[in-house]
Amino acid sequence: MRTGVIVPALLALTLVVPRPVHAQFSLDARRIGMAGVSLGRDGSARRYNPAYRAVKNRSGGGPGQPKVTIPIPLGLITFFQDHPPTHWGSDPMFNPDDSAFNPVELMNLVLNPPLFYELKRAPTPTNDIEFTIGKNQLIMNLGQSRVLIPEQKFGLGMNGRLLDLGYGVGGVHFGVMGFMNYEIEFALDTALRRVLRDTVPVQPDSTYRILTDAVVQTGFMPTVSFAQRLTHGTGAVGADSTESADDGLYIGGAVHYYLGATYARGVGPAGFTVGNPIFGAAPGVLLDARAQTSNKPFGKGVGGDVGVAWISGPFEVGFGINDLGAELTWSDTKIQRIQYDAVGDSISVSTTANHVETKTKLPVSYLANAAIRMGTGTTVGGDVFNAGRHTVIHVGVEQRWSLFALRGGVARDQRKKMQFGFGAGVRLGAFGLDVGVFTHSSTLSETRAMTLATSISVY
Amino acid sequence: MKAFAVALLVVVSACGQGHAIFNIDVLSFMQGTGKDTIPYFIPPATSASASTVQSITLPPGFGSSVVDSVRITIGSANLVNTGGSGTMGFQLFFAADSAGTYTAPVALNVPNTAVNGVQTVAVSISGDLSGLVDSLFRQDSVFMRVATTGTNNGLTNVTGTSILTALVIRVVLQDKIF
Repeated sequence: MRTGVIVPALLALTLVVPRPVHAQFSLDARRIGMAGVSLGRDGSARRYNPAYRAVKNRSGGGPGQPKVTIPIPLGLITFFQDHPPTHWGSDPMFNPDDSAFNPVELMNLVLNPPLFYELKRAPTPTNDIEFTIGKNQLIMNLGQSRVLIPEQKFGLGMNGRLLDLGYGVGGVHFGVMGFMNYEIEFALDTALRRVLRDTVPVQPDSTYRILTDAVVQTGFMPTVSFAQRLTHGTGAVGADSTESADDGLYIGGAVHYYLGATYARGVGPAGFTVGNPIFGAAPGVLLDARAQTSNKPFGKGVGGDVGVAWISGPFEVGFGINDLGAELTWSDTKIQRIQYDAVGDSISVSTTANHVETKTKLPVSYLANAAIRMGTGTTVGGDVFNAGRHTVIHVGVEQRWSLFALRGGVARDQRKKMQFGFGAGVRLGAFGLDVGVFTHSSTLSETRAMTLATSISVY
Repeated sequence: MKAFAVALLVVVSACGQGHAIFNIDVLSFMQGTGKDTIPYFIPPATSASASTVQSITLPPGFGSSVVDSVRITIGSANLVNTGGSGTMGFQLFFAADSAGTYTAPVALNVPNTAVNGVQTVAVSISGDLSGLVDSLFRQDSVFMRVATTGTNNGLTNVTGTSILTALVIRVVLQDKIF
């Protein structure tokens, strides 16, 4: 029964999760080999910088770039060998009733879908956890799992555009985009963090708290965007060279009318308080949360994107910012208070307001990118990306020799960890084969994993 | 308490595959209540026993778990004999309720120790309870009866008190809490 819920949920999440990490690395082994940096004008640049709608598409680091790139999902082959779908009902990976079921492993699967081949897997905590309980003593030793306890505020978030349908005339583009945003933040107070992470004994007459703020909202947004080339570079006037044909300054903007389908938000502290001695009386549970849910769809709001790009010969730089002023007004919201009832040792839910107006915001995202082709087959690029959370930085380089290419790069990910990538490629006629190796911390582990990505490019 | 224990279970579930281990300092719950001290009085040429019952609260939700082991890892008592000579031992009984501990089979039998006159004899209490009490330790609470048993082969009364000085039960579970 539970498997029947988990598996579809897992598949759904697997479809959704790659989108927020798209800006960090894509399904393109060339980009992965450069630690996630994009040297071209692929979907990521257009997604976050509307000015790129006016720039001629160039999906790679130079002329003669592929029309399409197809990932080779070697990781899926391995995954389905290890976890045949016909056995998912009894597979410990998906079966909470199995003694070997590991929720961390399942979460890692969601956070890091097994599309590519894992050269080095991040370890999954499988250790024992130990509680020492006495009348005036409580010690929690989480063993290796202590690394799962964040040192600072911990959050998960995604602000994705799930589709982009539309039609353009000249520099104007009309379309509809879907959006999905979730932001989940946990903040343990220092005392609780020390108890869980440092195995510090619970102290008598103390309170331990965790603050949670979570919001989920989704909907769609009719959009009108405009992109225009403002200037032509001197080399671009009548230029035959592909290098200089795109020279100029580009600007773009988009106005979105957000129509939220639904949203929910929960805010509040939770925790426990102990007396002296600790188990002299039952520890008290602290819970006083507020939940907001939309009764009706069509939360409304207006926001926009702006962007600028400048291309001069081998040099290119762009900056785009999304969802400026994106605040949705939900006209019909229910607000509930969720409290712990010590008398009944139960959770009580009461409605404090109904059919009231509330507001939510979408986080502002930005992407700054730059690249330079150095004329010797070398292209160097970098980008800085932020989607309302920690800034991600990528820097990468590609060196081409005739049909061959070598790539490398470094990145700082959302967890502020350095990641590395390297790769190579060969082009044979209309097809190219690329491999990229990258390290990542996309799992619930402090240890980096290393993944081998492969893709075929069609020229 | 239930909600607090559920919070503990969340921690357990969040930490992946492995064992949940509970080291329960039973003595700490007995101290200050008088239950850690068991007076004994054994007339000549008789056997007698005296006991005390203590409830142990366990985290709920482990009903489906597999109990790997239940052991007394740290246990000791002092036999503070104030007169007479004989032998004294300890027995531990576990049950789902207090009354059941009087009909339950012996879970642990500590061999007899000789006492003579006014003296204090330290006794070690340890042993593996696995298999005998596994199902009880999957419940929310379990009752334990500690009995001091003795025989008097002398001509004067054997009197004194047995005082528990340490008692830690270690329960190892393969947690299945969903």
